[in-house]
Amino acid sequence: MTEPRNSGMSSLPVKPSDNPCAVDIDPVEYTLRKRLPRKLPKRRNDVYVNMKTDFRAQLARCQKLLDGGSGHREICVHGLGLAINRAINIALQLQASSQGALQLAANTSTVELVDDLEPEDPDEAAEPMTRTRNNSAIHIKVFYPDPQ
Amino acid sequence: MFTGNGVVSGHFLTGGAFKPHQGLEVNTSIQTENGQNFGTFPPYQGHIYTNASLPKVENNVITTTFKPAPQPVPPAALKLGQEGFKKVCRTEEHSPCPFPGLASGVLEMRVKEGSKIRNLMGFAMARMQGEKGLCVGGEGGLRQVVFTGSGRAVTKTITCAEIMKRKVGSLHQLTKLQYKVVKEVWENTEGGTSEMTVHRTVPSISILLSKDPLDSQEPGYQPPESLSALWEDRDEPATPSTFKRPPEPSLFSSLPHCKRVCSGEGVSVTPLLH
Repeated sequence: MTEPRNSGMSSLPVKPSDNPCAVDIDPVEYTLRKRLPRKLPKRRNDVYVNMKTDFRAQLARCQKLLDGGSGHREICVHGLGLAINRAINIALQLQASSQGALQLAANTSTVELVDDLEPEDPDEAAEPMTRTRNNSAIHIKVFYPDPQ
Repeated sequence: MFTGNGVVSGHFLTGGAFKPHQGLEVNTSIQTENGQNFGTFPPYQGHIYTNASLPKVENNVITTTFKPAPQPVPPAALKLGQEGFKKVCRTEEHSPCPFPGLASGVLEMRVKEGSKIRNLMGFAMARMQGEKGLCVGGEGGLRQVVFTGSGRAVTKTITCAEIMKRKVGSLHQLTKLQYKVVKEVWENTEGGTSEMTVHRTVPSISILLSKDPLDSQEPGYQPPESLSALWEDRDEPATPSTFKRPPEPSLFSSLPHCKRVCSGEGVSVTPLLH
């Protein structure tokens, strides 16, 4: 699963008034900090795609999981947000290079992401707010179909 | 398409850097030229090179037909956008494949990159929920809807489908991935002397949402509000610490932490207990 693009402090001041669903229209500026999505349980054949790692490296990793001595019969490729495209690409590439031996099964889901809004000015005594937003995720199972 | 607008320079075909270069171009389409890889994942968008053989991993083929004369692949990085080809780029969807094995007369929502989700959902929801009040289908009975998108619109397509699933509960979902060939025509800025046709294969997604049960053995099938089929042998996650939620029912017990169907609007997430 991808980490948010700027995890940790991002010096992007966000006025709560920009938030369309803000309860308070507070002129105090906040600093936006994205929280990482929750800890991901990871099976051995899970691959989480992100935008930071090189594409070919991720593709090779998936390929290695499928091939190799102890090749799994199926792997699961996950992508969140912008990495959805990359995950789809990886899955389609794997299928193409297997000459049709692999099949794809894609599932989609919604993931909640939480942003911490902290007051820019510590003197302002504004309380840190939390904003939740949703993001799309895709989970693609790449598998060798059972010979039946 | 993937991260927007990068330009990979210098390499032909193999193009060492698949990393997108951020913020170089603002054009919506990825510039390609004459055997060069550009854009975010140019090889994997399938540019057809007339002079090159297809590497087994990469899927990039680009046909560029120049009116003056086909040029050999220049080693230097030439950007379509900066070579005076920023002009007319007409994109046409090439060979749109229908959703495999789908009944006809189903509402098809084509999601483009610039589509507004609000408009899309307004139209789709009206069609889907308008029919809901009728026992018998009105004009063809809208029990199914297909969202299709390709290239940069894939994420938006998924988002539309997820929103619809949330608003109209208990929808069966079938997701299909495939490559689509897109034909673009680029013309020269000055004088329109040269014109280029670019074929690019982009990944595309088709999501079928249906009120009627679908074939659950079909790859890509997703039952309504349940991901348990995917996460069978996962360890049960601990109680969610970040979000204030009641403990998840056993139906969702095998779900990983951050992948969870959000039902209901707004911040609080409470899974629908059936």
